[in-house]
Amino acid sequence: MNRWLTRRWPAPHWPSIRGRARADAGPLLLTAAVIAAVALLAGAVPALLRAAADDAVQDAVRRAGNDANVLVHADWERDDGPNGGRIRTAGLADDVEDFRARATYALGADLDAALLPPVAVVSGPILSITEGSVPRTFQFTYLADDRDGPAVTWIAGSAPGSPFPDEPVEAPYDGPPWPVQVGLAETAAAALNLGPGDRLPVKDGQGRDRDVRISGIYRPADSTDSTWRLAPALLGPLPGADGVGITRFAGLLSRESLPDARLAVDQDQLRRTVHFAPEPGALTWDTTAALANQVVALKAASGSSGARDGSLRWESQLDTTLRDARTRGNAASAQAAVLLTGILTVTVLVLLLAAALLVHRRTPALGAARQRGAALPDLAAELTIESTVVSVSAAAVGLALARAVTPGVSWTWAVPVVLAGAVAGPAFGTLAAARASRDRRQPANPAARRWIRVTAQLRRAAVEAAVLIAAVAGFVTLHQRGLLPDAADGDTGELTGDLVLPISALALGGLVGALVLLRLLPLGARFALRQALRSRRPLAVFSAARAATTAGRALPLLVLVSATALASFALILGSTVTRGLADGAWSTVGADARLDLGTDAQAATPALAERVAAAPGVQQVVVAQVTESARVFAESTLFTPRLVVVDAAAFQRLLATTPLPDAPALARLTAPAPTPGDVPALVLSNDSELRTGARLQLPRDDAPAIRLAAVGTAPAVGGAGDVVVVDATALAAAGLPAVANTVWVTGPGAARAVTNSGVAADVVLRADVLRAQRVAPLTAGLLRLAWTAAAVLVTLGLLGLLLAAAAGTSERWHTLVRLRTLGLRPRDARWVAAGELLPPVVVTAGYGPLLGALLARLTLGPLDLRLLTGQPGDPATVLPWWLLGLVGVVLLAVAATVVPVESALRRRDRLSEVLRAGE
Amino acid sequence: MSAEPLLRVRDVHRSFRTGPTVVHALRGVSFDVAAGAMVALVGRSGSGKTTLLNVIGGLDRPDAGTVHVNGTDVAALDEDGLSRLRRETVSYVFQSFGLIPVLSAAENVAAPLRLARVAPAERERRVGLLLELVGLADHARQRPAELSGGQQQRVAIARALAASPRLLLADEPTGQLDAETGLSVMALLRGIVESEGVTVLVSTHDAVMMALADRVIRIHDGHLDEQAAGQPYEPVPDAR
Repeated sequence: MNRWLTRRWPAPHWPSIRGRARADAGPLLLTAAVIAAVALLAGAVPALLRAAADDAVQDAVRRAGNDANVLVHADWERDDGPNGGRIRTAGLADDVEDFRARATYALGADLDAALLPPVAVVSGPILSITEGSVPRTFQFTYLADDRDGPAVTWIAGSAPGSPFPDEPVEAPYDGPPWPVQVGLAETAAAALNLGPGDRLPVKDGQGRDRDVRISGIYRPADSTDSTWRLAPALLGPLPGADGVGITRFAGLLSRESLPDARLAVDQDQLRRTVHFAPEPGALTWDTTAALANQVVALKAASGSSGARDGSLRWESQLDTTLRDARTRGNAASAQAAVLLTGILTVTVLVLLLAAALLVHRRTPALGAARQRGAALPDLAAELTIESTVVSVSAAAVGLALARAVTPGVSWTWAVPVVLAGAVAGPAFGTLAAARASRDRRQPANPAARRWIRVTAQLRRAAVEAAVLIAAVAGFVTLHQRGLLPDAADGDTGELTGDLVLPISALALGGLVGALVLLRLLPLGARFALRQALRSRRPLAVFSAARAATTAGRALPLLVLVSATALASFALILGSTVTRGLADGAWSTVGADARLDLGTDAQAATPALAERVAAAPGVQQVVVAQVTESARVFAESTLFTPRLVVVDAAAFQRLLATTPLPDAPALARLTAPAPTPGDVPALVLSNDSELRTGARLQLPRDDAPAIRLAAVGTAPAVGGAGDVVVVDATALAAAGLPAVANTVWVTGPGAARAVTNSGVAADVVLRADVLRAQRVAPLTAGLLRLAWTAAAVLVTLGLLGLLLAAAAGTSERWHTLVRLRTLGLRPRDARWVAAGELLPPVVVTAGYGPLLGALLARLTLGPLDLRLLTGQPGDPATVLPWWLLGLVGVVLLAVAATVVPVESALRRRDRLSEVLRAGE
Repeated sequence: MSAEPLLRVRDVHRSFRTGPTVVHALRGVSFDVAAGAMVALVGRSGSGKTTLLNVIGGLDRPDAGTVHVNGTDVAALDEDGLSRLRRETVSYVFQSFGLIPVLSAAENVAAPLRLARVAPAERERRVGLLLELVGLADHARQRPAELSGGQQQRVAIARALAASPRLLLADEPTGQLDAETGLSVMALLRGIVESEGVTVLVSTHDAVMMALADRVIRIHDGHLDEQAAGQPYEPVPDAR
């Protein structure tokens, strides 16, 4: 108790604090600059990432298009009348309005705020047009939104009406087809050669005639109106909508003709759906999880599809889209955290090195202070006050700058840097002061000296073992658990504690690599020394001796190797993502350029292909019929793969001119099938359900299905998960001639050739796709961070190199002067200095990039880069050797300038002063 | 007629400027040292002992005056000439030993011989003799960290003698040693003067060393105050 009562608080001596700060303003300012710069980066990155995540969510929803809509269905109440017929409900359009209002109410406030006003779509069944030589289908549709449907101009006839009064009319069940009036789009009417007053010859699935009459021809006031996207056939004929080679037409219903449409088809054949399109601008990263959960809850609460009542049945992929975007955001966040952890680790090491240098300068003053009677707690308090003021104020400046240039700031990541800056100096300084005042000489007893050495070695081995164990645990966790938040724990969008270890795996790996070199370098230096001792060159001996003396110094080598390895990793990551984006663009487009042709232009495809092929700079041109979500049966299972009907030989030649994987199996498409009558096909499936050896069927209307035999693996076309590729000639021989709707073009002149094709077609250029992918928010953000991290790490490495040189310069030149007292010439002294400084840098210049490549190999897989590159699989690791070599060259160049600069600075010092300072 | 002295110092001045302050370390110092003598240079800290040794060894240049070592005007030598002088004529022993830690005792002793391009066989022979001389023949393969402070200073002395210098300058060689070890080192230096014929100029605070010296030169604020050898000496209080 007395001890506690008599203990006094540390009493800092303020003039000493001010004096030390003035004397060492340079190193303190350097420390502050490092802390401020890294705090700026660490504070800005999370905020920038969050902003990019918001943009990415909105971008994902925009790209998903109608797939991200929230749909709600409800059956009609039965319209049975009292006299054995069906009652015509004159107010059916009002009923649809009521349905729209009910659906909106059921959404809830949060979802309602994130979605655009609803559009109700009432559609009839798919009817077959009975005239014409090619298969065509027809569907009538009613659109209702806040504006009563999209605006149209009637260029012939009038809007659909009804010959029946508003009073209830009962249609007998066995009566003739109930007439319904529809409007036709201008292009559809021209294609069908029909006009106002004509009757459209259609039958339903049971072969019964339906009475559909054309009331007028319309032209959309704005064909880009998003409402049309819900029923695109209303804008004109839609090829391939109902199967290969089948074109769909659509008729527009009005409020007046809607009741007739219900009676024109069977009781349950008119379907009503309300579409809610998301408002991308209203979506943010923070809201995605809650919105996705609400969509899931709506879907879970849907009424049974078998129930014949008006209950709402929800359907949407918005939750999947949001969750995918969130997964990509989480992946980007984790990837950024990995890079940031690397930067922070190296920064902490640099700050330790800077603190060691500062304390080295101060040791005489601290020793003198102790001899004057300063207590260690007082000195520790003084040093802590100084380092805390420097670290906290520098971090505050960095975070303030981050706040000024970014939408927000995160201080969490700056904490390790501030702590290192605040603690390292006082800790090293107090130890140095304690040693300076401890009257301990080298023990004369050899056993005592050996014990001291063994104790130091055990202490070092324990630290190294701890780092190694942490690194192994980090990599194991990284590979077993990954970096994405555990959905079971709830995805909060924040990095949770269980992610600390896997996120740190890279940095720990860098440290372990540096520790390995730290063990090997002294062995190598001693080996070099032994070789030099056998030589007759005194400079080699002294250089090797100096190198061997300094090879075991931990901090300089840890900084150099960690910085170089992690910078190399960042360069590899950036290059891999860049290449992944390029490969993804090749995969998406399939060539340098692609033309997606409309129905009107399809007939001219062969001539178009010839014209494009003749253009300068075009290497290969291939035409194909590509059908999205084609219906293909394998046994009794329906698949909806991308069906590609193409000249197999030409396709193989085209692939050979691209970086896309070659597909040798394409040659099998032109060989006879294993079973006569089957058409050979290549298949590709994400889940392996479409596999080689499978027997497939391609159904046709009014004809037997075509049998396909899967004889090999298809190339990935357009990044689709499921693909079926068939040779056009073989399929035509089986009775289904292809109607080409796609033209792939390769060669340097491909873009110009397709752009000037003179045909109404969607032009997809690989360069445009690549550009779009590169500027995608998360991808662009990660790439910027990777390049920035590489630059920062290289800078930190160079700073570490200079600090290490500065920390050793006093001892180095003292030794050199001692050698000069033995007769070493001044110019020879510079060679000896170079012999000391260069070996670890030369080794690091080679070892660091190799370690970075090893870390990339161990780490890139679990980083889930495919989520950002848009590839079906992980991108292949790219080693940018020239960039990695550049890192080494920069290190060597800076190290090579240290000796002449140091020599020039030291030239002014008299030998006697150096010796006196070193005593 | 007396023989030419090995060391001749004439009217040497050396001053240092520290900001506005000028410190006169040496003020017209003049003395001679005959070959084969052991001279103790004593004085307070800051009296100019080390400066005088540095000027004599060519590690520093005087503002005025001349220093002749073995007939060579040290101040007139260029860097290469000074290097040659230090390689062939003058060598040093420092308070902090200055050994290369990764080299063995023998390799440290051989360092000047390597610089002088002495053939390996002759180098090994000479190193063996010197280690024998300083009593460390059994420690030839040990590194400095494996040796005691006294042993390290013995290695440093052997290294200083390796190139057969004419003049050995020792700057407080016993400063980091305990009294007993210091005494043995001083005895060694005395013995070397006797056996090798080397001229030794040693700065010291140690009365025993002064007693062993042929002659004691006292320096006070840059001026000389010479004492006869063996005369009782009152140690100078040292601020260290």
